Formats: sequence, structure tokens, C-alpha cells
Amino acid sequence: MKITHEIKDQTITIRLNGELDASSSVLLDEELSKPEIMLFKKILVDCDRLNYISSAGLGVFISHLQRFEDAQIKLIFFNMQDKVKNVFEILGLDLLMTIVSSYDEAMTIANE
Amino acid sequence: MPYTINYKRLYTFAATVSWLLLVINSLFVNQESYPETFQENSNFLGRLFKVSFIAFVFLTQRASVEAYRGSDFIGYLWKLFIRAGSTAYICGLFFFGDQRLSKFFTPFQGLLEVIYFISFAFLTYFLGKAFYIWRNMILFQKTRALQYEWDWFEFLIYASLLGSLLGLRLLNYIPLLCLMVLYMLFLSIHLRWVAYLTATKKWRSVFLLTGILVGLIIFYEYFEYMLAQHQLIIDFFYDPFLGLTCLFVAIYTLISLLVAIFNLPTSSVFEQKREDLLNFQRLSQSIQQGEDEPQVYNLMFHSAMNASGADAAWLEIINEASQSSIIEAENVDETVVTQIRQVLDKYQVSSVEYVNNNLDHNAGFKALQLPWRSLNVIPLKSQKRTYGTLYLLKDIEQGFDRESINVIRTFTSQTILTIENLRLVAESLQNERYKEELKIASSVQESLIPKTFPSDSWFEISCYSQAAREVGGDFYDFLQLNEDRIAIIIGDVSGKGISAAFHMAQMKGIFHGLMQDDLQPVEFMVKANNALTHCLERTSFITAALYIIDYKLKGFFFARAGHCHTLYYNSMTEETFYFNTEGLGLGIIRDKSYSKRIHNMHYDYNPGDVMVIYTDGIVEARSANQDEYGEERLREMLSKHYHLEANDIKDAIINDLNNFSSEIIHDDQTLIVIKFRNDQPNLAL
Repeated sequence: MKITHEIKDQTITIRLNGELDASSSVLLDEELSKPEIMLFKKILVDCDRLNYISSAGLGVFISHLQRFEDAQIKLIFFNMQDKVKNVFEILGLDLLMTIVSSYDEAMTIANE
Repeated sequence: MPYTINYKRLYTFAATVSWLLLVINSLFVNQESYPETFQENSNFLGRLFKVSFIAFVFLTQRASVEAYRGSDFIGYLWKLFIRAGSTAYICGLFFFGDQRLSKFFTPFQGLLEVIYFISFAFLTYFLGKAFYIWRNMILFQKTRALQYEWDWFEFLIYASLLGSLLGLRLLNYIPLLCLMVLYMLFLSIHLRWVAYLTATKKWRSVFLLTGILVGLIIFYEYFEYMLAQHQLIIDFFYDPFLGLTCLFVAIYTLISLLVAIFNLPTSSVFEQKREDLLNFQRLSQSIQQGEDEPQVYNLMFHSAMNASGADAAWLEIINEASQSSIIEAENVDETVVTQIRQVLDKYQVSSVEYVNNNLDHNAGFKALQLPWRSLNVIPLKSQKRTYGTLYLLKDIEQGFDRESINVIRTFTSQTILTIENLRLVAESLQNERYKEELKIASSVQESLIPKTFPSDSWFEISCYSQAAREVGGDFYDFLQLNEDRIAIIIGDVSGKGISAAFHMAQMKGIFHGLMQDDLQPVEFMVKANNALTHCLERTSFITAALYIIDYKLKGFFFARAGHCHTLYYNSMTEETFYFNTEGLGLGIIRDKSYSKRIHNMHYDYNPGDVMVIYTDGIVEARSANQDEYGEERLREMLSKHYHLEANDIKDAIINDLNNFSSEIIHDDQTLIVIKFRNDQPNLAL
């Protein structure tokens, strides 16, 4: 699992590359727990190269969801592969989280 | 050794009798009252008794010294000095007594002779004991050749008894005597035992050997004097056997004494080497003796100080957090340590091997005005990491030579090896404990999953469950609500391992607790979500699906909380499909709004319908090339096998799944197949 990020104005784009399993979800948790992350208004998560997400990986997003909502930070996922999206949908997370197909779409929603 | 003791007694008895006969014979001869019949043979009889006495004394000693074992050489010398050597000093007393008394009156001849023969017995005893103790010393760490050489020597010595019997004089055979002396010298170079003595023991052996040598001289002086003074007839010293043994004992004693004296200066080196070896041994055995790291460091520190003769030293150990701390220090205080370290840091040699045999040559050290002149820095390093550094100080210049540095380096590497092994042992113990705990958790979890479902005429049910690790996060359970309603729950706790197993147990408790009130599936999910709010950590959630099957209504209610979709075969329409319903997992949102995220469903079933419920471990199972098993393949399996019994449908799916994934399990897998029956219910059940 490789996690990179790109900062542009008030938006941070986090790129997930590989499989988000129990061990790599710790890295993601560290990334999302950084205090500076709260300085951004929008957090975009690029899932183009996310091949697999385990329940531990989902748990990381779930645990930060409320915090971001309270701080009025928008969390948007985009470029999600079908099988990963299916996992989000089965769990019912697609109704709680914003999942869109492309970066542009994500930016549009973020700027609303 | 009963035989030895018997022989010893026999020999002693024979020796005593021979001695008495010898004395009586001598008294008869000197009193000129010898019975005439034996007159002619009196000299021969005297020699015969003498030889038999000597032979039996030697044999007694041979048997008694045989029992001495081991390498307590000082003990041997001490026994020789006390038991045999003291007889020489008694003879010395006789000598002085005779000298004083003969001035006042002429002593009675018979008494003189008895004393003379007592002294003779003493001498023989002394020689016998010395001869056999020296044998033990010579044969210490013997070789086969040496044993052979000694046996010949002993044989030759005993053969010389024949000469004694025939009354031959030793000095008449000078060339033979010279050869024997050479042989004795050859045997006397076997002095290996001296090397095994410590310095103090060497000193002690020097004194004891001197005492033994003095004893020999006293004997010699005494017999010379008695011969000259009283013209006693038998001159023992010219006797071949006694002469030879005397020579041998004297030669070996003298050579031992000289070797012991000359070995004194080197003994400290040998002692040091031996101690180093012992310390190595102790270091390498630390693990078996259950010592801990500080004890090993302590042992290494003192061994290294001892081996190098350092005047001051300290040992720094780097802990997990890369902070170094002094754990041992001797003759040096912390301020000086800091000062020296600062200088070393400046020269960038604080963590490499570094020897400075003349500290005053460096301006930095000179400025500190240390009382020491030599410094040796040895890092404790393995290939993987640095454990610490040992610093040794000496108050002389050129204090550390190659030799001692090598020894210390061996100490440090042995220490590192021991420390690493200690850690490995501790780690494996810890792992063993974890395994044991997991085993307990696994058996507890095993007991939480029902082994059998109620079998009745309404439907058949078949279950399969396989955890990826010792403990899993999947669970299923059932509860008979009343005679025509049964609740079945399936769930999956996020994450794996012990915490997942705990939450699974909690969920089982919640299920049995809440369903006592005969709740609708949605009500149950809302209350369960509420209950889990307080006991589930933020990163965890649970997916579950609850089914309440009503035989009377021929239908079932169900709710899906983020769990995998239910696969269904409808026997009327002959279709297989998934119930694609909405529903959020438990523990994801933890407030009242959860009730909006979950929905009740109702479905009327027909006889022959098949319901397949499972966890994501089934559909997310992966093949060798990372393809997922998937919902579609599962659906196809059901559409092919719906006509089978529930148990056979389950087996067909599991076989297919195992073929697909080559039986490699990444996630817990649970599969339940329920087939509704055609049969009319037996309400009596």
C-alpha cells in the first residue's frame, strides 16, 4: 500500500495505491489523524489504484467520518473500482459517504 | 575394592613378620649366640629377610597409593611429606639423641640395633611411598608409550632386588648404574602436573618438595653416621634396590623442585588464561543458567577488566530508544566519563574500536589531566545493531597490547551472542504464551457457535464455517421464538483476531438478550446498534442479517445491516437472485438516525425454495491470480444445484470454492443453506 497526497488550495487529494488491508490501514489512519488534515475544507480520496479494501480499511474511514462531518470537512471518494464500490454499497456506506466517478465531478461537488 | 584391602593387609603383615625376623637374626649374629645349625647361612638369611621386608613394604605402598586419584597434586605432596617425610625427622631425633647420649655412656648394643632397624623400616616406608606417589605424578595425562616405559622401569627396579638378595654392591656396576640414572632422568621429565598448579599452589609445592628433599638428606646423614660410629653390619646404601630407589626419588624430587621454581614467574599468565577460558564458558552458559541481560553484562564487564588488568572502566548500553546509559562503572565517576566522551566525540571515535596507548599525546586528553595513560574503546556490535560500548582505562602507557585486546574482543562478541540468544529465547516464550491464549480463545469461540440446528419437517438447514486464523470474526446463531417461529442471525465483525472474537461474543449476547422480546428484525437492529455504541471501538463495526422464519405464515421477515446480500432460489419462477436491499452496518453511525438506514423485508416462500446466506469471506475468496469468487459465480452454483438437499448444495458450493481458491483462506468463511420443504408440517413438533 502506498499513500501519497497532493495539496491544492484548501483541498487535499489522497491517493491510495494497492490493497488497504489490516496492516496498511494503520498507515491510512496515521495519515488521517494528522492534525494538519483538519486545516483543509475538502478531502478527496483517489481510489483509482485501490484494488481491495478490508473491513479494517473501511473502519478507518468510518472512524474519521463523524470528525470530518463535525468540522464541516467534505470527504469525497472518486475513481472507485466496481468491486471496491460494491463493498461500500453492501455495507450501506454509499449513503453516508460521497462517492463519485471522476475527479472533475468530485471537484464540482466539493466546490458547491 | 575388597581385594586391594585384603592384599594390603597381607602385605603389611608379611612386611612386619619379615622385619621382626630381620631384627632377631641381626641380634643373634651380633650377640654371637647364633644357633650353630644356621650359623653358616646367617648372612643369607639376613639378606632374605631384608629383601622380603623391602618387597612387602613396596607392595603395600603400591596397593595404597593406587587409590589416589584426581589432580590434587598438593594433596599428594602433603601426604608424602606428612606420612613419610616425618619419619626422616624422627630419624633426625635419633641422630641427635645418639650424639648426645654417647658422650656420657656407651649405649647398649641391642637397643642401638633395634633403633637402627626402626630407622631402616622408616627409610623403606619413605622410599616406597615416594616411589609410588612419583609414579602417579609421572603418569598424569599418560600416553601408552609412557605407561610402557614406566612398567619397564618398575620391572627393572624390582629385578634389582635379586642383586640385594645375592649381596651385590651397587658401586661395582657403575656402567649399569649410569644407564639406570639416564633412564630415571628420562622418566623425570614428565612433570605436566606442575603446569596445573596456581601460583600459590606452586609456592606450596616448592616448600613441600624442599621438605621432602631435606628428609632424604637427613636419612643419608643418619645412616652414614651410624655406619661410621657403630660399625653396624648391614650397609643399606650400597644395596642395589635401595640405592636405585633412593636415586630415583632424589632425582625426581630435585627436578620437580627446580621446575616448580622456574615455573613460578609464568604461572600468573597461565592462571589468567584459565580464568579467561572459565569466563568464556560462564558467558556462553548464561542462558542455561537462566541469567538475565544485566547479569551477562556484569559478567562480561568484570571478565574484561580482569583479562586486561584495567584500572578503571565503564560500560554503556544503548536501550530501545537509542539512549545510552552507563550500567557498570568502576573507579571512574560520571563527570570524568562525560569529559572523556566529549573528547572522543570530537575525534569521532566514540563508537568505533579505538585504542590510545598514550593519552598525553592528544591535546584533548592531556587537558583533562586524567590519572590514566591508556584507553581502549570496544563497541558491542552485532551485524544488525549496536548494543553499547565498553571503555577500559589503565594508568600506564602502552597498557593495552594486541593479546589482551583480542581476548576482550572475544568477550564482547560472546556477550552479544549471549544477549541475542537471550532475547530470542524470551521472544519464543512470549510467542508460546500468545499461542496458548489464542488456543483458549479459539476453543471459547468454538463453543459459541451452535453445532446443530433444530431439525424439523419445515425446512432443512446446513452450515459451514471456517476461520482464517485461530479466532475469527464470523458468527451465526438461532433462537426458537415459539413453536412456529425461528430467528436466524449471521454476522461478521470487522477486523480479525482476539478483538473480533470478543465482539462476536458480545453480538451473540445481544442477539439472545434482545430476541427474548420477540422483536421485528429492524427493531432488533436499531437496539443492537444502540447497544454496540458503548462497547465497540470507533474503527470497528459489525455487519449482520437477521431472519425470522414463520412456518404458519409460510414467509420470513428479514433485515440486512450491511451484511452480504441474501441469495435466493424461487422454485415457482425457477429464478435465482439476490435480495438487493438497503441497510447500514452496525456501529457505523451511533445515534438515533440509524433507524432510517435499515429496512424490514418480508417474503413468502414456496416449498422447494432455497436461501443461501454467507459472509464476505465466501464471495471475496481469491484465486491464485487474484480473481474474486464473486456473487455471480455463487449464484450460478445455486442455479445448478438447487434441486439437491441443503447439505449437498452446501458441499457443492464449498468444493467449488476450494477448487477456485486452492484452499487458501484469507478471510473467515461462513455459509448457511436453508431449503424449505414440500412436506406438510408436523404441528406436534
